[in-house]
Amino acid sequence: MVIVTIPLYWMISTSLKSKGALMALPIQWIPKKPTLNSYKKVFTLFPFARAIANSAFITIAYVVITVLSASMAAFAISKIRFKGANVVFAMYLTSMMIPVQITLIPMFIIMNKFSLINTYTSVISPAIFKAFAVFLLVQNMRALPDDYLEAARIDGAGMFKIYKDVIMPMMVPTIATLAITTFMEAWNDYLWPLVMLSDKNKMTLTLALNTLNGQYDTEYNVLMAGSLISMIPIIIIYIIAQTQMKQGITVGGVKG
Amino acid sequence: MMTTMSKERKKIIQAIPFMLPSIIGMVIFSLFPIIMATALSMTDWSGLEKFTIHTIPEHFVGLSNYAHLLSHKEFWSTLLHVVYYIVLYIPLGFVFSMVIALILNTEKKLTGVMRVLFYIPVLTSWVAASLIWKWVLSSQYGVINSIIGIFGMSGPDWLTNKYWAMPGIVLASVWKDMGYYGLYIFGGLRGIDPTYYEAAKVDGAGKFRTLISVTMPLLSPTLFYCLIMSLINAFQLFPQVLIMTEGGPNGATQVMVERIYTYAFSYFKMGYAAAYSWLLFLIILILTLIQLKVQKVWVHYES
Amino acid sequence: MKRKAISVLMQLSMMATLLSGCGSANPDTAQTEAPKETVTESSSVEEISSESSAEAAEPGKAITITYANFNASGGNEATLDSMYQAFHEQNPDINVEIETIAMDDYFTTLQTRIAGGTAPDCFEMNIENFAAYASKGILAELSGADTTGLNQTALSAFTYDGKQYALPENFSTVVLVYNKDLFDQAGIDYPTSSWTREDVDKAAEAIRGLGDNIFGIYQPVTYNEFYKVAAQYGGSLVSADGKSFTINSEENIKALQSMVDRVQKTNVQPTEEQMGGMGDWDLFESGRLGMIPTGTWCFNTFTDACDFSWDICVEPGQTSKATHFFANALVVNNDASDEAKEAAKKWLSFLASSDEAAKIRLDAGWDLPALSDMDALSSYLEITPPENREAVFESLDSLVLPPIITDYSQMSDIISDAVSKAASGESTPEEALNEAQKLCEEQINLQ
Repeated sequence: MVIVTIPLYWMISTSLKSKGALMALPIQWIPKKPTLNSYKKVFTLFPFARAIANSAFITIAYVVITVLSASMAAFAISKIRFKGANVVFAMYLTSMMIPVQITLIPMFIIMNKFSLINTYTSVISPAIFKAFAVFLLVQNMRALPDDYLEAARIDGAGMFKIYKDVIMPMMVPTIATLAITTFMEAWNDYLWPLVMLSDKNKMTLTLALNTLNGQYDTEYNVLMAGSLISMIPIIIIYIIAQTQMKQGITVGGVKG
Repeated sequence: MMTTMSKERKKIIQAIPFMLPSIIGMVIFSLFPIIMATALSMTDWSGLEKFTIHTIPEHFVGLSNYAHLLSHKEFWSTLLHVVYYIVLYIPLGFVFSMVIALILNTEKKLTGVMRVLFYIPVLTSWVAASLIWKWVLSSQYGVINSIIGIFGMSGPDWLTNKYWAMPGIVLASVWKDMGYYGLYIFGGLRGIDPTYYEAAKVDGAGKFRTLISVTMPLLSPTLFYCLIMSLINAFQLFPQVLIMTEGGPNGATQVMVERIYTYAFSYFKMGYAAAYSWLLFLIILILTLIQLKVQKVWVHYES
Repeated sequence: MKRKAISVLMQLSMMATLLSGCGSANPDTAQTEAPKETVTESSSVEEISSESSAEAAEPGKAITITYANFNASGGNEATLDSMYQAFHEQNPDINVEIETIAMDDYFTTLQTRIAGGTAPDCFEMNIENFAAYASKGILAELSGADTTGLNQTALSAFTYDGKQYALPENFSTVVLVYNKDLFDQAGIDYPTSSWTREDVDKAAEAIRGLGDNIFGIYQPVTYNEFYKVAAQYGGSLVSADGKSFTINSEENIKALQSMVDRVQKTNVQPTEEQMGGMGDWDLFESGRLGMIPTGTWCFNTFTDACDFSWDICVEPGQTSKATHFFANALVVNNDASDEAKEAAKKWLSFLASSDEAAKIRLDAGWDLPALSDMDALSSYLEITPPENREAVFESLDSLVLPPIITDYSQMSDIISDAVSKAASGESTPEEALNEAQKLCEEQINLQ
């Protein structure tokens, strides 16, 4: 507990310090003269509401697409178990191993070919293929017994119905985990949106916060304040997802 | 014979609509970039020119990038640093995640609060997390060494000492990731059918015994996922290094992805960087294949 | 079969509603209906030049150019915007879309866009990357641009193969900043421009004597400081003809030895461990550091953060004086249309050398425009602290430029590694520089 909380506490206390107090010796556990100036500065630096709206739109679309596309693929791989499913799965797994740094320029060139530079679509569309999401879901779906599937099939349910009404409800806890990690990833991502978006009006919150980094000097207190503010939406989403997870666990628990 | 054939075909037809979006995505966002990166790895393209169809034939150099990499000390030392990281990170991360999962599973009060607390590091961006840890690990102004100081010892010069810098980065990474894996394992624990525990109790197994012979095997698919993901992520170790040590002191924390990024975007040697990525890819691939083979021995699927 | 067909259809329609749903679900429809707007929006970057060239053919029609920069990040975006307002008033036909990107990501973004063929029409460049960009034919030659008012040293830093590819926009130099209070406590005289490095060492030792946590000087043993100190000893990294490395010359070894001695021998300068991960400015701001050679961009921060009195002087040299010179410059994309290039030149000339832009820049306390006429900069001298602001201009007399080579980053990384090994005592200065010389010769082709 202590290990988890100390760095967080440090983050909050740094955001409340003035520039001079950052490096005082001995270190100030509690800021001697707490100030909200860092927060004020964050809010005045860029169109805040706009950046949050952009981030929210991009992130939500990203999460929805990831969850749908990945859960469908995971369902086909782990439950339909078509011939070659393992090969496809292996390919998915493999694709995670290529470092993103090296695919940046090829991806950019593709987006350019599709004329998608400087659109939200360019930032969102990679969500359609998230190998890690498929992997997570396959791993969990495999743990579900096939009895349900057989029972539904005997009742005459089609594959889509089985996916929607049988498998997905049992997967709620995993989906919630996936949604929250994807949310976080999309919310915090900056290199891809940075390369894609040049229009100021489309700037995301993470991009905006990054401009706090000056050429020569970084104000850590302001940076921490900005980071804390940008974490709030994620924490709220997480708490919502939490309740989903709890419900999901009870649904899943019925299976035994 | 006919029936199995048509059954297989039927399955494929059933699978197509489910796989389609994902497969299209894979071709566009993964397969194509990978093919292009492969082609680039055989060129001396700088990456600082407009890419056209002529780029690859004009700059073609065959396998010389690979030969240069493999005969160079740098590649091997960065690989060694990553291995050092993994050797520290995986056991430490496993223990902490497991502890979190077990705390959450036994503690009935406060679980809601604790789950949020444990998860906050996961939700922090790496940029912020690395900056915090740079402070936390500072030998003079840092919290960790202040605590060690309370016990009358003096802490190491974490990030500025060439032996302690990597352990410092490992600490930060464990702090950031343990909540994720902890909660994931916790989900796995909750999914275990209670009848197994009852059976173990009837057999007179103690707590530790139950953990080893009942919980662990049933948890193995979950743990397998954690292991594969942390291996892949470990090899792609990057943002924390960039911010906390910039590969220092004296290159002691230089890792593969950092080199790839530097070659591609700072030295303007895109072809060389692509070859570097390919070697990194091959290493991860081989390790994952071994894992997939070995999993048959220890991973237990219910169905 | 029918059921399957239906499920396929459902699947597809679900995807379709999903995609269109994303756009309309957002309240801010005008800007955020991404999928539908795709076609029109995407044209903005790529077709700006062609569109506008067609338009510019008709007199009185406006042209829009794109401009990317990093210098305004970290708090000067509004200043840049007011420069643009002033420019736009004079040139109502030219619209400039400004994009400000943090330094850390600027060059990655730029490079990616260049490879993809969508680089901005004009953008900012630094000395380190200039040669690489110029050698790849990315930059348009700025023939015919008015350069008379610009600082000649700065101009000469941005030539490649004898051609001018960039207009220097601003500059900074490095001066010796010192904590007056610590000098008073130690009972010694303030530094003057006639000091040598040995005088600095003596003063640093006196200040170091004031306490365990108080240090005399901080001059990091890094690539940047090293090439300057080397020049102070009469050395250089690359031979005068630019064809061979001279990293392990006798002068350079002496220079590195003097830097390392401050850390290892006299400890007037803190080791990495004594710094404990804190920054050099932070150490100075906390009042525990006597002297720090640092950039003129520190003035605003130090004015805010220091509660003691401080001043500056020209950085002391050894056999000769040498001062750092940093400049950012403005360049035009060679791929832009002719009309866009012309408009971009106008905008860049305005930024670099107009009185209006210079005034806005100085009033905001941003940085110094790279003008040759010092009178235009007189208002800069009136701001205190530091009292001795003239030192900034004095330092212009002894500028040293880093070598302009295409593999600049790689060379600087190799040398950085070497000098930091020497600083930590892992190898002697001579060994470290021999190693660096060898690595540079192996890995970098100077043509």
